[in-house]
This record gives sequence, structure tokens and C-alpha cells, in this order.
Amino acid sequence: MSVPVVELKHITKRFARVLANDDVSITIHQGEVVALLGENGAGKSTVMKCLYGLYRMTSGAIYVDGQEQKIEKPRDAMNLGISMIQQHFSLVPAHTVTENIILGTCRGPIDYKKKEQEIAELAREHHLDVPADAYVKDLPVGTQQKVEILKALYLKARILIMDEPTAVLTPQESEILMQFIRGYVEKGNSVVLITHKMKEVMEAADRIVVMRDGRVVGTVDKEEVQETDLAHMMIGRDLEDLKKSAWEESADRKPCLEVRDLSIRPKNQAPLLENIEFSIREGEILGVAGVSGNGQQELCEAIYGAADVTSGQILLDGEDISHLSVRGRIAKGMGYLASDRHRYGMVSDMSLSENMLLKASYLKTWVNHGIIKRKKLNQDTQKAIQDYSVKAPDCSVSAGSLSGGNQQKLVVAREVGMGEKMLIFDQPTRGLDLGAINYVHKTILEEKERGKCILLVSTELSEIFALSDRVMVLYQGRNMGIYQADELTTEKIGLLMAGYDPEKEKGGNGDEE
Amino acid sequence: MTTVVNLLTRAFFMSTPLILGALGEVIAERTGMMVTAVEGIFLIGAWGGFIGAYLSGSCLVGFLLAALCGLLVAMLYGLTTVYMQQHQIVMGTAIAILVTGFCTFFYRVIFGVQTTPLKIETLKVIEIPLLSKIPIIGSILFSQNLITYLTYILAFVSWYVIFKTSLGLTLRSCGENAEAADAAGIPVTTVRFLAVAVAGCLGGIAGAYYPICNVGMYNSEIIGGRGWIAFGICFLGNWSPLGALVFGIIFGISEALGVYVKALGLSGVPSELFSALPYLLVIILTVARRQFRVPAQLGTNYVKEE
Repeated sequence: MSVPVVELKHITKRFARVLANDDVSITIHQGEVVALLGENGAGKSTVMKCLYGLYRMTSGAIYVDGQEQKIEKPRDAMNLGISMIQQHFSLVPAHTVTENIILGTCRGPIDYKKKEQEIAELAREHHLDVPADAYVKDLPVGTQQKVEILKALYLKARILIMDEPTAVLTPQESEILMQFIRGYVEKGNSVVLITHKMKEVMEAADRIVVMRDGRVVGTVDKEEVQETDLAHMMIGRDLEDLKKSAWEESADRKPCLEVRDLSIRPKNQAPLLENIEFSIREGEILGVAGVSGNGQQELCEAIYGAADVTSGQILLDGEDISHLSVRGRIAKGMGYLASDRHRYGMVSDMSLSENMLLKASYLKTWVNHGIIKRKKLNQDTQKAIQDYSVKAPDCSVSAGSLSGGNQQKLVVAREVGMGEKMLIFDQPTRGLDLGAINYVHKTILEEKERGKCILLVSTELSEIFALSDRVMVLYQGRNMGIYQADELTTEKIGLLMAGYDPEKEKGGNGDEE
Repeated sequence: MTTVVNLLTRAFFMSTPLILGALGEVIAERTGMMVTAVEGIFLIGAWGGFIGAYLSGSCLVGFLLAALCGLLVAMLYGLTTVYMQQHQIVMGTAIAILVTGFCTFFYRVIFGVQTTPLKIETLKVIEIPLLSKIPIIGSILFSQNLITYLTYILAFVSWYVIFKTSLGLTLRSCGENAEAADAAGIPVTTVRFLAVAVAGCLGGIAGAYYPICNVGMYNSEIIGGRGWIAFGICFLGNWSPLGALVFGIIFGISEALGVYVKALGLSGVPSELFSALPYLLVIILTVARRQFRVPAQLGTNYVKEE
């Protein structure tokens, strides 16, 4: 084979105390899609950020077209034709698409009209449907990603690195992205796909580099490998098989949570939630699917009492709790695992015990006339640490010192303890590695067996399907329908997530692609 | 009628330093740097401007020294915030207080304690040929001093630069999303530091306007919160140079009004009320203003992961 376009040789990257990459070597050839597969924290993004000049590697060398190159800042990488689309987009929301794309590429006065035309043309050429004069903040995430792609194309990139590109997309949008990638490499360019999703890898990649704990544990051709082998390589062991018990609708299961005609309509804004109605029975998991930002968080907060509701009723065990405060609802046995534990769920600088106490400071359990019962609290926390196999030396270390997965286990333990009747899980496994995901899923299913009613919000369809009995799809705050989990296909749920109801649009034929 | 013309002439005259300071603030804040040392920059500008003009006898030297003093204070602020990641508001306020002591102390060291205040000659009015002969507008707009003319020109120039050139796009991107600007190859910290430096120069000149153009002498209360008013004008003008121009004029009018009422000696109306007008106005206008388009990362330092 010819000279590889990019060769990373023995790259080591050390942050203050953490060894993020240890002797990583990766080769990228012209016209291929290389998938970089690994768990969170495996060092996939780090090594690519070294290639893109965002990080400075501790040791190692980068060869582009056979020549050794010093890449110290992103501009150096861009000059070599390397572009990277980061997981959190590098876009300026308050600026237009054009302003975002030309940023850093021109001098002197800007003729915006002319630049807009240029970019509109570039978008047409690559079949990317992007309005050049729109403000980025007004665009849906899927389109924002196209802006990022256009930015790379505008810079004439020939090596495109994409970090978890499908995390924010519907299945249909992902499909379009994969088509773009295929077309792009056919023209002689190369793509590096950073991902932890096996399915994507099997679909799009030519070659797969698996990373674990900062090292490359194997490089395989797609034809020669099975998904299960990859999973094993990624986590270094096999995963526990989860079985959800079959759900039977029977009369003796009474509805536990009922939501009636729930709406949130802020003034001068599009409604965040519109006429949501559903009920969850005891021992049932209702999955809420949707692209993130379509009202999921508002729904959870409304049920939990943390959001201002315009109209609607919420009943728990037949009792109207709409007027109760958050505290009142906790007392009724409601647990809420918020999507962003750093913002809503825990205090990094406080100890594990204190974090356990966070929501229970006014309950009698651990507090006696305003004084904390340290001994009991520590015992209980210690027990939770053991029960949930949180990897922590003891209950006095700060929550921030634990890994993300272990932090999440602790917060899950607390919420499961608080929520005696019902549990709300908003993105319970976001950012966790496969092992921790496995554990959280197991816990959710166990709680279901205990007869709690569970609302599970997730943007990962695999999670929705693995756990839910019924699935509700949210799109722009509207309920697109509630389905039995087994009657939904990925394709159908994808259309619902994008706001199309396949049943209502039978006129068009679905096999145009 | 002549009272109104005189009042407006005075208003444009008084608006100049406020606009100038606000323009510097707009430029810096667009890159995300909240120059909270602005009051101190104004004061050291007044101090340096007076000393320069007094010792050399030339207003130009005064303004140059004022710009230099403003620059140095701004660089101290930039060094501690942009490069040493200190909190912008805390640092700026601390520097402003430091400058107050510095100016008082060194004014005494240089000139000793004076029984009658030292005087300098104020900057002359330049009547623009032909234009100044237009009735009403001529005397309001075209019989001003050089700094006023330059300030008004600068407002339009900086508007053009910020919104129509690549330099402006760079400035705005640093304040909206520094990570994105960095990923696009823009040296965010350098841009921010230079923007603060420019704000320092403009703020220094604005401060020197008070001794050199207005009163012809210096004391440590000469600025009296006007740096903060320029800071407020930047907010009220929605971080646009033209917005700063409009609100600068409004504050100029209110300040001129205060002076006039005092001069007329209207009975029954305490003149202090009118002196307080600009400060009250900041509060009233800020509350009344519903929406601000605040640069998304205003006041946050950019820490690059290495």
C-alpha cells in the first residue's frame, strides 16, 4: 500500500496525574474510514486532539504524507488538511452560519453577501441542506453538525475527524451522515470516526482501532470481526446479560403515576410541553424517547415539581400532587435522577455521606432536631457503597474524586432509596462506560421488579428498547404516541423522533432511499 | 432657544469622554473581557493627563501620557486576568482602588500640598470652516474640540470594524465562544489582552479629558464615578459602538442639565438632584431595558486545556 496520509507513532499524553494515552500508534490511509472504538475515558478523543493540535502530546511523533510534522495548534493541523468536529460543537451560536465558517480564514473587510453565496454553493455541491444566512442558535443540532462539516470542507480538509457524531442525531439523520462519509472518502479523503457504538462501527468503518485505558488493544478489519469480540476487546471482559421480564397488562396492576393534560407554555415562546397525557402502572417502565431538548427535562421537572406548569394535573396513587412542592413530592416517595448530575445531582466537593444526605436533610432518617446523626449516616452510606459496588475507599472522600460511573452509582443509590413509589431516570447512563451502564440497567430492572413505577428518559434508543415496557416519543414538547416497546421498529421510532407520524403519512412511499 | 443650543453644545462636549470610555469597554467586552478597572483607568488618565499637560505646557503631551498610563493599568489588569486567570471583577475593583491611592499619593509627591489648585490651559475649540456656520447644528456639532470630533469618528469606525471586518468577527467570536475561536486557530488570549490594552488607552484619554478639556485642574475626585457610567453605557448600548454613542449623548444631556440647573440657581430644586441624574439614569435605564444581547462568555476567563 502507498504511504499512509497520517501516521501517529508512539503517542503518549500525560495530564497532571493521569496517563491519558500510553504509546498509541495509529495509521490512517487515503480513502478509508477508521473507527476509533472504546469506552469513555479510553483516550480516543485525547489522541485525536493531539493530532488536531488542541493538546500537546508528551512524547511521540506525527507523520503526514510520510513527513514528520510539528502540530502545535489547530491552525497547523488545518494547514495540513486535518479538521476535527468535536463532540461539543465549536460553533458560535449568536453568529450566522457564514460567520462561523469563515472565522479565522480571511482578512480585512468582509463582503458578507459574496461569502454567503460561496457557502451556499459549497453546501449545494455536497448535498448539505444548510441556510448560509441563518443564525446557528436557530438551527437544530443535526443542521449544526452540517455547519461543522461545511467548515471542514471550506478549509479543504482531506482528513476529517468526527467525535461521536451520531450522539445528537435521529437514526435517519445518522443514515444521511453515513452516506456523506461514504461519498467523502470515495473522493480520496479519509475519515476518523470516534465512537463507542458498535453498530455504527460495523456499518461505516473499513478498519477498527480498539482502545482501552489509553492503549490500543487491537486493530481489525471489519470483515474479520464480530460485534461480541469487539465488546470484549473494549471492556476487557464479558457483559452480564440483562433480561427484562415480559410485561403483561393485567387488571390488578393499578396505575401509580397519572399525568393529565400537562402543558408548559412560557410567555412569548414556543410551548415546551403540550397536552401530555399518560399513566404508568406499578412495576412498569415507561420509556421516553426523543432527540435531546424536545421537552424531556421539562417533563421530568414538571412531575418532580421543579418546573412551573401552565396547566395539567399529576396524580400519584390517585392523589393529586400537582400543588405540592418538590419537598412534598419527595415525601410522597418520588425519586429523580437528573440528567446532569454535576448540575442538579451532587456536590463534587462534599463527601459521599454528605451527598447521600443532600435531599434528606429535613427527614428524620439522618437528622435529629437539626443535628446530623453522623454515625447512622456513615453506616448507611457505607452500606450503599457496598450494595451498589461503588469503587470508593470510604464514605468520607469527596464525590468529585470518584470516576463518573461511580458518582452515578452513588446518586442512583440515593434516588432509589428516596423514591419508594416512583422513580424518574433522566439519561441515567449518559457518559458512563459499558460496565457502569450494565450495572445501572440492572438496578433499574430490579426496582421495577419491586413494583415501583419508573419513567425512563433516554436519547439512546438501545437503552429505551432494552428496558421499557412502553415507549412514548416526544417531539417539540408534543407526545407523538405511546407504543408497546415490541411493536416499534428503529425506523418508525426515528420518524416519530423527527416529528413525522408514519401512520398519518401513508400517502408517501417509504422506500425512496 | 439659545439656552437649548447651549445646553446641547455642552451635552455633546460632556458626552465625549463617556463615549470614548464606553467604546473601549465595548471593544474589550466583545472579546469577553469585562474591564472593571475602568474607573481606575479614567482616574489615572486624568492624573497622567494633567501632569503631562502641566509640565510640558502641551495638551498633546498630556493626552499621550494619559494614554500610556491607561495602557499600563489595563496591562496590569490584562496580565492578572487573561494570563493569570484571576477573577475579572475582583481584580478590576482591586486595581481601581489601588490607582486611587497611587494618584493621590504621587500627586502630592510631585507637587506638594498646594493652597490654590494648579491650573492648566484647556484644549481649544476648533470651529470647522463652513459647517460651523450652519444655524443651530453648526454650533452644537461643529464647534467642539479635537477629541470630541475624533471620538465621534471613532464610534463609526469601530462599528464598521466590529461588524463588517474579519478583525471584528475575531473579536466577537472570542467573547461568544472562546473554545470555538481557539479551535478555528485564533489566539484567544492574545486577542483578549490586546483588546483590554486598547480599552486602557481609550479610557486613559477619556479620563484626561476632564482636566485638559473641562476644568483645567486636577483633584482626586475629578472622575467621581464617570468610569462606571461609561461601563454602564456599554451595557445599555448593547455592546454596539453606535449604541454607546446614543446613550453617551443621553448621559451628556443629563450631565449638562445638572451643570445648567446649578448655574441658574433655580430655587426649590436642589441642584444635587440634577448632579445625581446620570447615576440615577444608569439604574433606571438598566432596569427598564428588557433584553440585553450579552456576549455569551463576558467575564469568564478562557482556560485552555493543555
